[in-house]
Amino acid sequence: MRALTDSEMKTVLDKLANYMSDLKSLIAPLEDGDRYVFRLNHARVYYVKLSLANLATSISRDALLSLGTCLGKMTKTGKFRLHITALPIIASGARHKIWVKDNGAQPFLYGSNVVKAHVGRWSEDCPEHQGCVVYSMADVPLGFGVTARSTTEARRLDPTGIVCFRQSDCGEYLRDEDTLFSG
Amino acid sequence: MAPTRTIKNKHHGSKSGGAGGGKGFKSSSSDGVSKPRNTTGPKPKVPSSQAQVKGRPNLPGLDKNKKKKRRVYTEKELGLPELNMITPVGVTKPKGKKKGKVFVDDRESMTTILALVQAEKNGQIESKMMRARQMEEIREARRVEADKKEEERNAKLEDTKDSLRKKRKRAATNGKGREEEEESIKAVAATGTKAAKPKKKRVSFAGPE
Repeated sequence: MRALTDSEMKTVLDKLANYMSDLKSLIAPLEDGDRYVFRLNHARVYYVKLSLANLATSISRDALLSLGTCLGKMTKTGKFRLHITALPIIASGARHKIWVKDNGAQPFLYGSNVVKAHVGRWSEDCPEHQGCVVYSMADVPLGFGVTARSTTEARRLDPTGIVCFRQSDCGEYLRDEDTLFSG
Repeated sequence: MAPTRTIKNKHHGSKSGGAGGGKGFKSSSSDGVSKPRNTTGPKPKVPSSQAQVKGRPNLPGLDKNKKKKRRVYTEKELGLPELNMITPVGVTKPKGKKKGKVFVDDRESMTTILALVQAEKNGQIESKMMRARQMEEIREARRVEADKKEEERNAKLEDTKDSLRKKRKRAATNGKGREEEEESIKAVAATGTKAAKPKKKRVSFAGPE
């Protein structure tokens, strides 16, 4: 387990900034004087409290399976891929949101894109190909994706047209159970 | 290993032939060139071999000295063309820099990176939005123009339709009048009065108005 390097940190934050409007809250100091830090172990990036990270140094790299919240994985080409486990963090400061009707929640959780007919409402002034968090109508975050059309264009779209390309959904907890946390 | 063996085989082949081959092979395992020469070769050849042996250690020494001198020059200094090698970006490390990674763990550096990234991203999104708005405006203008053209075309069509209808009506009314006129003219001609000449026949076509 180690801290991120300069470039790694930039890549991670760059990806997070696609979905979040306020990144500063991520590293803001907590009331008890503690703060959150980013740690890397086995190519996975974890968002963890500093006190916990310090405790985890007593465990060898190989033996350490996971700590804190896994944000995603660094690819071998140096890119960063967000996992569904990062959803609570992303959802807390989401930049753009899409609310999906009840009839659209299940298709989304099974891995399909969001079509216009399933959208209950969406945040205004959302450009094309911008990260957005998908919520159910009861404001429960279901996953995240990338907008296929801008809000104005999406209004003119037919009901079967794709509004949001799925990036990750809560169904992955079951579908990718074997590889989500290790491997 | 391989070059020494081949040398021995050459000697054997020239001096002892196929029978001495077995001995030569045994001697090769123990020591180099001197043994087969001692056993099979004539005496006068021994000093020559010794001289060779004496000469050889001197030559490599000289070569080494020369090579050491040559080693001063690098490939770049000699102007040799560089080989086309695959050197990944991560492998080539700049000289004079400290080895290892520089970690970002303190809050200040994290905040600076964060602010940089955030500003960059905001700029990107803003430009994207601006572009989208501009495109939307252009599309809207085009749509309005297309609607206007469509309306004009429709209006023109309606006009032509109306004019056609009117003309048809007029033609119908004009036809009746003409017949009446013709009858009156005939009547006048019959009476013989040339006071009023009949009007020339007119032919009108339905023009596009």
